[in-house]
Amino acid sequence: MSEPAKITLEVQRYHPEQDSGPRWQRYTVPYTAEMSVLEGLQYIKDHLDGSLTFRWSCRMAICGSCGCMIDGEPELACHVFLRDYAPGPVRVAALDHFPIQRDLVIDHSDFLEKLETVHSYLIPAEERTPADGTHRQTPQAMADYYDYAQCINCLLCYAACPQYGWHPDFAGPAALALLQRYNLDDRDGGHRLRERVIDAEQGVWGCTLVGYCSEVCPKGVDPARAINQNKAGSAARYLLGWWRPGRRRGEDRE
Amino acid sequence: MSRPPVYRPSMRGWWQRHPAYRRYLLREGSSALLAAYALWLLAGLVSLAAGEAAYERWRELHGNPWVFGVHLAALLAALYHAVTWFRLLPLTLPALRWGGRRITDRTLVRGAWLTYVALSVGVWLYLLGGVR
Amino acid sequence: MKRSHEPPLWLLFGAGGLLAALLGPALILLTGVVVPVAAERGVEVLGYEATRELLARPLVGVLLALSLGVVLWHAAHRIYHTLRDLGMRAGQGVWWACYGSAAIGTLVAIGAVIALW
Repeated sequence: MSEPAKITLEVQRYHPEQDSGPRWQRYTVPYTAEMSVLEGLQYIKDHLDGSLTFRWSCRMAICGSCGCMIDGEPELACHVFLRDYAPGPVRVAALDHFPIQRDLVIDHSDFLEKLETVHSYLIPAEERTPADGTHRQTPQAMADYYDYAQCINCLLCYAACPQYGWHPDFAGPAALALLQRYNLDDRDGGHRLRERVIDAEQGVWGCTLVGYCSEVCPKGVDPARAINQNKAGSAARYLLGWWRPGRRRGEDRE
Repeated sequence: MSRPPVYRPSMRGWWQRHPAYRRYLLREGSSALLAAYALWLLAGLVSLAAGEAAYERWRELHGNPWVFGVHLAALLAALYHAVTWFRLLPLTLPALRWGGRRITDRTLVRGAWLTYVALSVGVWLYLLGGVR
Repeated sequence: MKRSHEPPLWLLFGAGGLLAALLGPALILLTGVVVPVAAERGVEVLGYEATRELLARPLVGVLLALSLGVVLWHAAHRIYHTLRDLGMRAGQGVWWACYGSAAIGTLVAIGAVIALW
């Protein structure tokens, strides 16, 4: 039997008890053609260094847990293969723009708080009770928002957004894409609530259309489109609000 | 239990991290050359109002190699601006439909370029024809 | 949440950007390249009399002045945001320097056009 091929991984380490900042550590890992970068990290944890900390769950690009920077690109570690980086060294770092808790684990509580502000759930346009049965949707109407509904909250888009890096108040790509997903749903009646988020300083106006968020999305969500589709409408509401001061629609509803 | 400290990454040198960021800064930076050209036209407009001598001096300056060079740079910047602007244009529009079918980004970008060609030809004909 | 006051600035930015994309290359090629190259060969393009007559038409003059204005607004908007992106602590001073000079440029253009009438 011949020796298995090997690849060098340079992994960002940060243990707050002992490190003042991140440092790099090299590991050499045997790999096969079908091994993902996540499996490389798991090999390190199981065989080389049990102290390496990272998040993962599904291994199939649907849970959104294993996002990290791989050679400077935001990627899901389970979604890229070691063979494409061989023989390395390939750099694996924590997702950019987020506070690092430990090694590759970032603190994503800021995103979770934002997710709660965008009303990313169906607010039925008409009163309904469970007795009304399934709240049906036609395929044609669904096509309007289907892409935005694919978001898995993996936060790669935030790691690709310099505006979020500079201004952590900015609601950011995924939260605004999920907002748009429900705004485009023709069963939904919550757009006036969401307009307050859209029109706010933290809303779509924090975006300068760098566009990299849409390039890195592993699910084809296109958050740059979701955000910028809203600018013309938001500008129209601003001017109409000027026209009729104090009579902004929806201001009285909570 | 107190939480261990988190490490907050800095934004220093962020544009070095990815070519997409540098393309973005190049796109935004192209506006400086567009502004320079607009200011140059503004100077021409003011000299036109000031009289024939001032206007002819402004016109002669176009032969200066430096002025000519900046104009060439501005031309490249304007082309890059047009390419990026038209490419991003569909992102700023709501989903449009024509006879029940979604108008694709490709169609929108092509439409923008057709408009560009028509207006470019129109302005050339108008200015050269009207000025003869 | 505080409402953003970006929309009017963005609308002017967008108008300037669209105009610059549609007409910028053709105009720069004409005034910046054809004018000096033609002059070299003794052909007068955009000569004084003809240009003055053209821009003294109120519609043409005002359109030109407003076009120059929105392109300056477009650039002011992008330059302001890029300075912030590059890490400059862009306060009120930088804001006024960017958008203020665009506003002054617009006023100068309108003044020059009116002076032609």
